[in-house]
Amino acid sequence: MKTQKKNTWAIFWAVLAMLYFFVPMLGTFIFSLRMKRGVLSFQAYQSVLADSRFLESFRYSATMGIITVLVSVLLLLPTVYWIYVKVPWMRPAMDIITILPFVVPVIVLVFGLIRTFGRPPFQLTLTTFGTDILMTAGYVIITMPYMYRAIDVGMRSMDVRTLTEAAQSLGSNWFQVLTQVILPNLRIAVLSGALICFATVMGELILADFLVRPALGSYMAGIGRSKAYEPAALAIISYGLTWVCLGLIQYFSRGSQEQQLTGR
Amino acid sequence: MAQLELTNITKSFGGTIAVQNFNLAIETGEFISFLGPSGCGKTTTLRMVAGFEIPTSGTVTLDGVDLTNLPPNKRNMGMVFQSYALFPNMTAAQNVGYGLKVAGKPKDEIDQRVDEMLELIQMRDFSRRYPNQLSGGQQQRLALARSLAIRPKVLLLDEPLSALDAKIRLELRQEIRRIQRQLGITTIYVTHDQEEAFSLSDRVVVMSRGLIQQVDTPIQIYNHPASDFVAEFVGHINLLPVEVAQAKEGLVRLGSQLIRAGQFEHLNGRPVRLAVRPEELKSGFAEGANNLTGKIESVTYLGAIVRVHVDVDGHLVSLEMFNERSLNIPAVGQPYQINFPVEACWLTNGEKE
Amino acid sequence: MKKTRNRKLPGNSQWQWKNLIGLLPFFLFIAFFLVMPSLTLFSGAFQDVDGHFTLANFSFLQNTFALKSYLTSVWVSLITSVIGGVFGFFVAYAITAERAPRWMRNVLTTFSGLAANFGGVPLAFAFIATLGRTGFITALLKGICFNGAGGTTICPFNPYEHGFNLYSVTGLILAYTYFQFPLMVLTITPALEGLKREWSEASANLGSSSSQYWRYVALPVLWPSLLGATILLFGNAFGAYATAQALTGGSIYLVTIMIGQQIRGDVLGNPNEGYALAFGMVVIMSITIFLYVMLQRKTTRWIKS
Repeated sequence: MKTQKKNTWAIFWAVLAMLYFFVPMLGTFIFSLRMKRGVLSFQAYQSVLADSRFLESFRYSATMGIITVLVSVLLLLPTVYWIYVKVPWMRPAMDIITILPFVVPVIVLVFGLIRTFGRPPFQLTLTTFGTDILMTAGYVIITMPYMYRAIDVGMRSMDVRTLTEAAQSLGSNWFQVLTQVILPNLRIAVLSGALICFATVMGELILADFLVRPALGSYMAGIGRSKAYEPAALAIISYGLTWVCLGLIQYFSRGSQEQQLTGR
Repeated sequence: MAQLELTNITKSFGGTIAVQNFNLAIETGEFISFLGPSGCGKTTTLRMVAGFEIPTSGTVTLDGVDLTNLPPNKRNMGMVFQSYALFPNMTAAQNVGYGLKVAGKPKDEIDQRVDEMLELIQMRDFSRRYPNQLSGGQQQRLALARSLAIRPKVLLLDEPLSALDAKIRLELRQEIRRIQRQLGITTIYVTHDQEEAFSLSDRVVVMSRGLIQQVDTPIQIYNHPASDFVAEFVGHINLLPVEVAQAKEGLVRLGSQLIRAGQFEHLNGRPVRLAVRPEELKSGFAEGANNLTGKIESVTYLGAIVRVHVDVDGHLVSLEMFNERSLNIPAVGQPYQINFPVEACWLTNGEKE
Repeated sequence: MKKTRNRKLPGNSQWQWKNLIGLLPFFLFIAFFLVMPSLTLFSGAFQDVDGHFTLANFSFLQNTFALKSYLTSVWVSLITSVIGGVFGFFVAYAITAERAPRWMRNVLTTFSGLAANFGGVPLAFAFIATLGRTGFITALLKGICFNGAGGTTICPFNPYEHGFNLYSVTGLILAYTYFQFPLMVLTITPALEGLKREWSEASANLGSSSSQYWRYVALPVLWPSLLGATILLFGNAFGAYATAQALTGGSIYLVTIMIGQQIRGDVLGNPNEGYALAFGMVVIMSITIFLYVMLQRKTTRWIKS
C-alpha cells in the first residue's frame, strides 16, 4: 500500500513536468499554424523559409558554429591531452579555470570585449573580419565549460599515458599520437561537446546582437518585434534544431552514461 | 516452541522462483548461518525475515506472532548490511543512537545506551567520528552496535564481512561470536564463505537454487553431507567415477583397482561415484585400508598444506597433507602409492542434488 | 598521492614547470578573451573619467534605478531557483523512485536535457505564442464564456482580466521556470541516485518511519547537493538576458538589461558606472559559483564514503 502511495506521487510530479514541457510546445505549434485565418496551415513556416534574411542568418550562424567548434577543439584537445600526459597535477586547477566563463555572464563578457578590443591598439570591431574573430573568441569562451568537460570525460575513460607510450614505442611522433590514437578514441566525447557547442552558438543572441552581426539570434529577435506568427514557427524550428543536436549526442553516446551539461 | 519460525516460505520475482518451500525453526539464542553460492536465495530469505520482501506464500512467526506482512520498521530486528549502510551525515554515536531517537526515547537513555554499545565494540574513543573517518572494520563494528542498540529480538547479518580484508575479517568474526554469546541473541548470518559459517554457527543451512539442501551442525554437514552439492560446496572433495565390481562385498572399481566402499544396495547397482575428502588420503601402504597406486601429476604448495594430484588409471585424485619437514614427495611422473580408510569414503548415485 | 607521483619524476619541480609550456596557447586565449575584458571593466569600475582611482562609481547603488535593477534580478533569480529547485527535485525524485517505469524516466530525462538547453529568444516566442495576449492557451481560456444576466457574456477565465500579464515579472518567472526546473532535474538526479537503498532499509530496520528517514537521513545527506543545485539555478537565471529582452522588450529592468542598454547608449550617463554595474554582477556570480563548487565537493566526499 505504501509503494502504491509513493507511485501516485511520482506519477503526479512526472505528469506535471510533462505538462510544463509539452503545453508551451504544443501551444506554440498550433499557434504557428494559424497564420491563415480559419485554417491550419504551414504558411508561417513558408514565410520564414522564404525570407532570404533567415537563410542568410542561418547560414552565418551555422558557419560561426562550425568555426567555433573547430577553434574550440583545436585549442582544448591538445590542452587536455597535455594535461593528462605531462601535468596531471594541473587538473584540479583546470576544473576551476574552465568554469570561469560561468562567472562572467555573457552580457558582461561582450561588454568587456567591446571595450577592450573596440579601441586602440586592437580596434577589431572596425572590420567585419575583426568582429567575426571577436565573436568566435566569445563563443569559444562561453562554450568552453561544456567542451572542456566533454573532452575531459572522454580522456578520463581511457589510459592516455599508456596509449601514448605504446604509440611512441611503435615509432609515432606527437602529432601522429594525437591524430591517430587519441582523437579516434575521443570521437564520441568530442562530437557530443561539438554538438552542444553548435547548438549554443545557433541560439545565441547577446554576442551577435551587440557586435551587430547577422546571426540567427539577432534575426529572431528582430522578427519578434515585428511579426506575430513567424516567431512561433521559428521557436518550433529552434526546438527541432536543439532536439536534433541532443538526439545526435544521445545516439552517439548510447551506452555511455554521460551527464548532460547545461546552461545559458 | 522455537522463537523464530519460517514455514513453507516461497518467494518468486516475476516468473523466477528465488526461494522455495523454506522451513526452519530457530531457537532462542541460536546462531544460524545461511550458506550457499550467490543467487541461491539466502539473502532473499533473510530479507523476508527482516520484512524488506514479502513472501509469495508461507509465514514468518516470532514468538508465536505472525509478522509475515508486518513492515520492517515494526519488527524489532537488527540488521547489518554488507555495505555497512551507516548514515554518512551522523557521527558514530549518532548512528548508534538513531534507532532509539526515532523511537522517541529520552536523551539520557539514548546517551547511556550508546555508551554501552560503543563500549561493547570497544570504540568509545571514536564516538565523534563520522563514518568516512573510520576504517571498514570499524564501520562494520559500528553497524553492528547500531543494530544491537535497539535491543532487537533477532540479529540479521547479510554477508557482513565480505567487503573487508582477510585479516580484519578474521578478527571481526571472532568479535561477532563473542558479542552474540555475551548477549545471547538469536542470530541469522548469511554468507557464501563456508569457513565463516562453520566457525560461527550452531547450525548451518546450506542452500542451492532456492532450496534447502541440508540443515545441521557444521561437523555433521562436513562429515555427512546430504547431497553431492553439499559435499562439493563444503570443503574439497574427490568425486571419482567408479563401477560396481561386487555389490554384495561392497566392492567398486576405479580404473582397474578395487576399492571397498561398504554397503550400496540402495543405489541399485547403477553407475556411482565415490566420495572421499582429500585430507583423508595418506601416502604409502596401509593394512586394512583401501590402497591405490598411480603417478604424480602435480604438486602444489599452499603454505601449511601441500596438495598433490595423483593420476590413478586416468582419474585425478587429490590429496591434502600438512607440509611437514619429513614429507618426501616424489617428482612429477613418478609412481606413488596412496591409501584411505574404508570408513572415510562413501558412494553416491552421481546426481548433483 | 600526487606528491609521491611527483617524486618519481626526475628533476622534480623545474621539470614540472617547464611542462606548463604546452598549456600556453590555452592560457593566452583565456588571458586575452576572458581575463583582459574582465579587467578592463574592473579597472574601469574603480576609475573616474580621468583615470584616477575612485569608489564613486559604486554610488550607482544609491541610484534607485540601478539598485532596483539588482533587486529585480536577484528577486527573479531567487524565486525561479526556488520554484525550479523544488519542482525539479520532486520530478527527479519521481524518476528515481524505485518503481518508476523506465519509459517515464527516459522521457523526462530527455526532455530535461532539451528544455534546460532551450532558452533565449525562442523560449520567449513559445511563451508568447502560448500565453501571450493572443496566445493559444489564452484564446482557449477566453473562449469559455457563459451568458450572464441581461444579455451580457461573462468570460471568467480570461487571465488578462484577472491580473495576469505575460509581459511582466510573473511572465518572466513562468518562462524561466521552463529551463530552471529541468536543469535541477539534471543536476540533482545523480545525487538522488547516490542515496543508497541500504540507508532507507537500515533506517526502517531500526524502526523509523519513512518521514523520519527523510528528515534525519535523506535530506541531511542531500542538502549540500540541493543547496548547490539551487545556487546553480540562481546563477543561471541571474546571467540570463535574451529571454527577458525578447519577452518584455527590455521593459523589465534586470541588471543584464541595464548593462545591455549601457553598452548601446550609456543610459547611466557615466560609462564607469556601467563598469561598476558589470563588476557587481561578476562579484555575485563569483560568490554563486564558489558556493556551488564548495557544496559540490562536500557532496562527493559524503557520497563516496
